Amino acid sequence: MKHPDLLPGTLDLLVLRTLTGGALHGYGIAQRVKQVSGDVLQVGESSLYPALQRLLLDGYVKAEWGASENNRRARYYTLTAAGHRHLASERKEFEHIVAAIRLVLANA
Amino acid sequence: MRSLRRLARWWRFRAHGEELAEELALHREAIERDLIAHGYSGPDARDAARRAMGNETLMREDARGVWLWPWLEGVWQDATATLRGLRRSPAFTAGVMLTFALGVGANAAMFSLIDRLMFRPPAYMRDPASVHRVYLFRVRDGVEQLAGIVYPRHADLERFTTSFSDFAAHSLRSLAVGVGQDARELPIGVVSGTFFGFFDAPPALGRYFGPAEDRPPAGVPVAVLSYSTWQARYAGRRDALGSSLHIGSAVYTIIGVAPRDFVGLWPLTPPAAFIPVAAYAASATDGNWPTNYGWGFGLATIVRRRAGVTIDAASADLTRALRQSYLAQGYPERLEALRPRAVASSILEERGPDRSGVARVAIWLAGVTIVVLLIACANVASLLLARALARRREIAVRLALGVSRWRLLSQLFTESLLLATAGSLLGLVVATWLSGILRASFLPGTAPATIATDLRTLGFMGIVTLAVGVFTGMLPMLQARQLTLTDDLKTGARAGTHSRSRARGALLVLQGALSLVLLVGAGLFVRSLRHVRDVRLGFDADSVLIVELEMRDVKLDSAGTVALRQRLLAAATTVPGIRYASLQQAVPMAGMSSWPISVPGVDSVRQFGEFEFNAVSPDYFATMGTRILRGRAFEPVDIPGGERVMVVGAAMGATLWPGEDALDKCVRIGLRPDTMPCRRVVGIAEDIHARGLGRETRNFYYYLPAAQWRPHEGGLFARASGDARQAIEPLRRRLQAEMPGTAYVTVARLGEIVEGQTRPWVMGATLFTSFGLLALLLAAGGLYSVIAYHVAQRRQELAVRVALGAAAGDVIRLVVSEGLRFAVSGAVVGGAIAVVGGRWIAPLLFNQSARDPVVFGTVTAVLLIVAVGASLIPAIRGARVDPNAALRAE
Repeated sequence: MKHPDLLPGTLDLLVLRTLTGGALHGYGIAQRVKQVSGDVLQVGESSLYPALQRLLLDGYVKAEWGASENNRRARYYTLTAAGHRHLASERKEFEHIVAAIRLVLANA
Repeated sequence: MRSLRRLARWWRFRAHGEELAEELALHREAIERDLIAHGYSGPDARDAARRAMGNETLMREDARGVWLWPWLEGVWQDATATLRGLRRSPAFTAGVMLTFALGVGANAAMFSLIDRLMFRPPAYMRDPASVHRVYLFRVRDGVEQLAGIVYPRHADLERFTTSFSDFAAHSLRSLAVGVGQDARELPIGVVSGTFFGFFDAPPALGRYFGPAEDRPPAGVPVAVLSYSTWQARYAGRRDALGSSLHIGSAVYTIIGVAPRDFVGLWPLTPPAAFIPVAAYAASATDGNWPTNYGWGFGLATIVRRRAGVTIDAASADLTRALRQSYLAQGYPERLEALRPRAVASSILEERGPDRSGVARVAIWLAGVTIVVLLIACANVASLLLARALARRREIAVRLALGVSRWRLLSQLFTESLLLATAGSLLGLVVATWLSGILRASFLPGTAPATIATDLRTLGFMGIVTLAVGVFTGMLPMLQARQLTLTDDLKTGARAGTHSRSRARGALLVLQGALSLVLLVGAGLFVRSLRHVRDVRLGFDADSVLIVELEMRDVKLDSAGTVALRQRLLAAATTVPGIRYASLQQAVPMAGMSSWPISVPGVDSVRQFGEFEFNAVSPDYFATMGTRILRGRAFEPVDIPGGERVMVVGAAMGATLWPGEDALDKCVRIGLRPDTMPCRRVVGIAEDIHARGLGRETRNFYYYLPAAQWRPHEGGLFARASGDARQAIEPLRRRLQAEMPGTAYVTVARLGEIVEGQTRPWVMGATLFTSFGLLALLLAAGGLYSVIAYHVAQRRQELAVRVALGAAAGDVIRLVVSEGLRFAVSGAVVGGAIAVVGGRWIAPLLFNQSARDPVVFGTVTAVLLIVAVGASLIPAIRGARVDPNAALRAE
């Protein structure tokens, strides 16, 4: 199975979008992205956790310790208000670029 | 906001790492469960999950790294790595820290002393840069000399100048405070009413006195206490205000308390109280003092320049005023000969023209401590270099793995800075201890310095620490920059190092050279001190006690005083432990009296220099141990009505009557000596050093019978048969019993005064010697470590030599000769430095050439012997190499 590289900056976008559905732990985020994308997108652990820390640092998500499905201590991430705003603007930006790429692909 | 979150996270750095580890572990277990759910066996699933996760530590570091400022991360890693490394080699760490502690500590102590002497402006002083101490000069015997300031002179200067906004006179006197049993002699600031205006120091209680209370001729007897006196004597009670206190010979009303730490201009001997000049002068002399140019009490003048007046202009203005003052005094004809000059100099006495020998030696010693620090640095640099060399292979591997050179260097640097910081903290202890010793030898009887709480000293230590850390880190860094990757990887730590330790060799030579310089200094001072001790003073200072009378407000007529002195003289000889006693009017090296004299047949006696005298009773020469060379000493027959007689010093006799016998010659003494009757020379005494330890070519000494010369003036000398110190208190008690009213006696050792004279040499000798030995010890340690290291590096080579038939002696010779080579080079370089530097140290020596071959020879020999000793231990170890084991080990 081929895992296409993510466009730069899109990992944050995916993580934020995934979290709009509610709080998830790191593994949950990775699984959800995988499922929703039909196994096309796979988020590597080595980029996921630094990305989460970055989002924490920027204040777009917040983390709380809670119990996992099988009662282990797990860190759950939720979107903050700033995260919602950031998602919206990043999303607009992304749509913009994708539209531009489509245009080029269709007409060049 | 981000920075705040970063900081908050930084606080719980370790916890943060653990949380991430937990999170990642959970992730791995989740993968594992998924795999098992897909049919994997347990162990397979675990391995697969591990593979899928990859390097968890790296991941954790990356995730955590998000929170760090990049440079901070580097520093943190360097610091932790360095600490780990240092913990692994405690002996090295301890050695380096101790070396730094001694070097930095000695410098901090020295800085604190010199800062106190020469740099720190007086506490509380407003704009100290515009405040000056005034020095007066005038020509005497063809030589320009410092002149004292008397009150009318001070008043003239103030009156005739325009460049100054403030003017104050001051003097520090040692006066008795209190009466009866708790009377103590304490330093008292005698200051004019304008003095406190130089400071921004609101009184802690009450008020200061002002010009109104300092108006000549009587002033108002009021006193301002120092804070500590207020605490000690009055337990800080507010009702101290208005109470009266006996100071000197007058009673003063306390009107205020100075703030804590206010010491006027005397940080070393903080005054217990301040009293007005006018009140003090009125109590100490007659009512003519405001206009009497002949009566002084060690006054000094301080001034504040007006804005826009340069220092040169201020000095010129003062000189003009000084000339006017001499005119006002009524000596217009003397102006040409006196050529008076005034200088506005630093407010700090030790920076002015009147600086003490102590300050000069202190500056030299500061240089010495810097040299010790340099040696310490060289030593540490050399040790660090050895470590860096030993880690060549490790470093090469790390470079090959892609560590940036910069990161590598910064790690080496962190090491030296950390060591310097730790060493300096230890140095704080050394500095505190050393500054106590310095104070005892430089400034006995002064207030202790605080090192640990003094911001200036701490700042200095910080700068030195940084400099030392950078300096010692630099050499290993340079070495690391030269690394050639492939060679080092191939040969490892074994080869290459031997030929490449040129930097360490240079450091060794430098250490040897600097030690030699210090030891030469030590040798010169020790020999100077011996010359000083060998000087025959003409009296035995060690067994003699000085008794001075302090009459305070007790007024006796001269007959009463004569009777009192006779009673004291008689009482003194009854005290056990006192062998002889005599009256005296002058204490050699402390004071002098001089009267105009004339000698029949000699044109002008003054052309020969100064003639000083002492008026003494018959036992004087026995008391002092001054020998009568010819003729007789005074006898009980030399009474007021008897023949006028005198005893002259040998040099005086030889100068006044060259080629003749001085005995029975005639000398006339008095204000107008030519009108006075003859005084017959009945004895010739050995010469004494009346002014100092140097050659006295232009001052002469003679003696008069106390009974025939102002018998109501002066104090006593007493000779102790045993230890003079033990006799002080019994003598004081016995004599005090004879004193009327509030009057009292003080007893001090004459030896103390002479010790004050020899102090610069004692100090130079002890401190140069101790620092020289310290330097030698450091250098020996450095040499030992380098040679030992070389031997360890050359194990194979030495083993091969032994295997090929070299005897133990050959190996030892080989190694020791290496050590000697360094020492000889060091001695040559150091010898050259010492010869050149000798020019500056020569003025501090006493009858001692700065190029004494004995000193140079001895010191060089010591250095070489130490070098042989330091290389002998590793040499013997090298000779014992078992060729079999050594060769197989590789």
